[in-house]
Amino acid sequence: MGRMKKLLDQSLRPLVIYAFMVLVISIPVYFVIIDWIWENELDKHHYAIREKLEKRLTHLSMPDTAVDNMIAVLDNVQPGFSFSEAPAPRPDSLYTIIRFDDFMQEREQFRCLTTDIRLNNKLYRVLIETNMEEIDETILAIAAVTIFFIMLLLAGFIYLNQKTALRIWQPFYDTLSGLRGFRLETGKAVPLPASDVTEFADLNASLDSLMQGSLASYRQQKEFTENASHELQTPLAIVKSRLDMLLQSQSLDGGQMRIVEQVYQAINRVSRINKNLLLLARIEHAQFEEKERIALDETIAGIAAQFTDRFENNALHYTESIEPFAVEANAVLTEILLTNLLVNAVRYTPAGGDIRVRLGAGVLTVSNTGSAALLAENLFRRFAQASGEHAGSGLGLAIAREICERSGWHIGYDFHGGMHHFIIRF
Amino acid sequence: MKILIIEDEPGLAESIGAYLTAQDYLCEYAGTWAQAREKVEMYRYDCILLDLMLPGGDGMDILETLKKQGQQDGVIIISAKGDYESKIRGLHTGADDYLVKPFHLPELAARIYSVIRRRSFANHNQVVQHELKVDLLSKTVTVHGTPVVLTKKELDLLLFFIGNKNRVIAKSALAEHLSGDIADMFDNHDFVYAHVKNLKKKLSEAGYGNYLKTIYGTGYKWEG
Repeated sequence: MGRMKKLLDQSLRPLVIYAFMVLVISIPVYFVIIDWIWENELDKHHYAIREKLEKRLTHLSMPDTAVDNMIAVLDNVQPGFSFSEAPAPRPDSLYTIIRFDDFMQEREQFRCLTTDIRLNNKLYRVLIETNMEEIDETILAIAAVTIFFIMLLLAGFIYLNQKTALRIWQPFYDTLSGLRGFRLETGKAVPLPASDVTEFADLNASLDSLMQGSLASYRQQKEFTENASHELQTPLAIVKSRLDMLLQSQSLDGGQMRIVEQVYQAINRVSRINKNLLLLARIEHAQFEEKERIALDETIAGIAAQFTDRFENNALHYTESIEPFAVEANAVLTEILLTNLLVNAVRYTPAGGDIRVRLGAGVLTVSNTGSAALLAENLFRRFAQASGEHAGSGLGLAIAREICERSGWHIGYDFHGGMHHFIIRF
Repeated sequence: MKILIIEDEPGLAESIGAYLTAQDYLCEYAGTWAQAREKVEMYRYDCILLDLMLPGGDGMDILETLKKQGQQDGVIIISAKGDYESKIRGLHTGADDYLVKPFHLPELAARIYSVIRRRSFANHNQVVQHELKVDLLSKTVTVHGTPVVLTKKELDLLLFFIGNKNRVIAKSALAEHLSGDIADMFDNHDFVYAHVKNLKKKLSEAGYGNYLKTIYGTGYKWEG
């Protein structure tokens, strides 16, 4: 994936490119038009001068010498005129020339008309020229003006884009930031800002129904787990009580007693899974919101004491090094978390193995003897236990992770020194 | 001793009734909220087993009514609701105990025994079984007048057995009783064996007869 682009820049870019192109093209066009108007007007002006000159001088009916004098005066005194006698008529000539001008003492551009004029039946060749702006200076001036306007235009675009587009798209950005805050687990749809723009109103309405739909199916799924677990409790209770009654029968022999014992075990396992599913559903329903200050060291000691029988029974060597440490958390969940970690350790440690609990500097580590590293990504998933030989519920660590997530803690797994380590950072 | 079983599931009510009747309790049944309400208003019981989710209403109403009227009946809630809040609410309203389904019948019997014992404390602060005497106030046990020093768990076990006289108790029921919530996390309940063995040893050393029997290695029975 390439670099992400912002929506507003997207709409601005083609506009800027287009404006730039138009203005660049406009420079020669301006020049051609202005030059054409200049030349056209000057040519018309030159012809008018020629007409006036011819008519007025003819009208005066002066003798030839007087005409010659007059022409000499014009030739020498009036700037832009130069006369010469012409032997034969020639066609008119219109042209532009850049030359050094003696009078202006500068390089100048002139528009010229060379034409014939007939005075007292004598043919003269006359050159009429008018100083005009130089072509390169014209181009420079036009370019400067155009570039100035390009800049003005671009600055305006960017400013207006920032201001207007941002304002127009504001509801969209509001919706976006609202959606970012949407969490399925909270069970609440985020309120999207109202908009009087049809598209945004449509967008928000669609998103809202999408959120409501997701929430409803999420709720349904959770309720299903909770209801299913609840419904299972009663038949389980009946089976358990029937077994207790069966045990009272006088005619049971040793083999049948063992069968009953096995059924007890299976029933226990079903109740355990059921209880844990229910617990997970409750945690996800955020039913454990109240927080209080918990002295973790005391809680751990209390829970570890409940396991004394288990440690002895499985010949496990339990050691702890616990520093006083308190957290702000839900008491029920914290107890469940610690219990699950210890149950996990007891269940999977081979007889004669070690279990160590360390608490210090806001980190709790529960370690137990093990043979090989476990797949960390599977470890905390539901019903993804490593081996089938142990009768866990497959939910203990999933619950532990869920509790950690709810409480804003981090749980991790590590294997070194022949021990599994479950590490919680508070 | 009269017990009212308020439970809408006939199968469960029947098992409970059969187990308790064999313990010399007199059992009556109510399967709906209305029936329960009627019985509770008309008769007095030593202990009422109360299911919370009943056809026709919430069992908690019945408990509230009882407490408002100042009745002295012992109440044990038996419910599928195992959450902390429900338990707290039940006990705050005035229930003596709260048992979450599914439970072992011996556990229920032991709790009923304990509730009734506490209710009639004045004349029953001692439990006497043959040559065995348990003082519930000072938590001391004597056999033939000789004190026997028991651990907390052993005393707990002893009272559990006495509450389930002449009944066969599964090892898992004992395990659940001894280790509470974490019991059902494990399938191996061998630790029970060690506690029972110690209890038996201490009692017989003090001269108590062999009343505690092991049934095929998987169950126990206290003959009284």
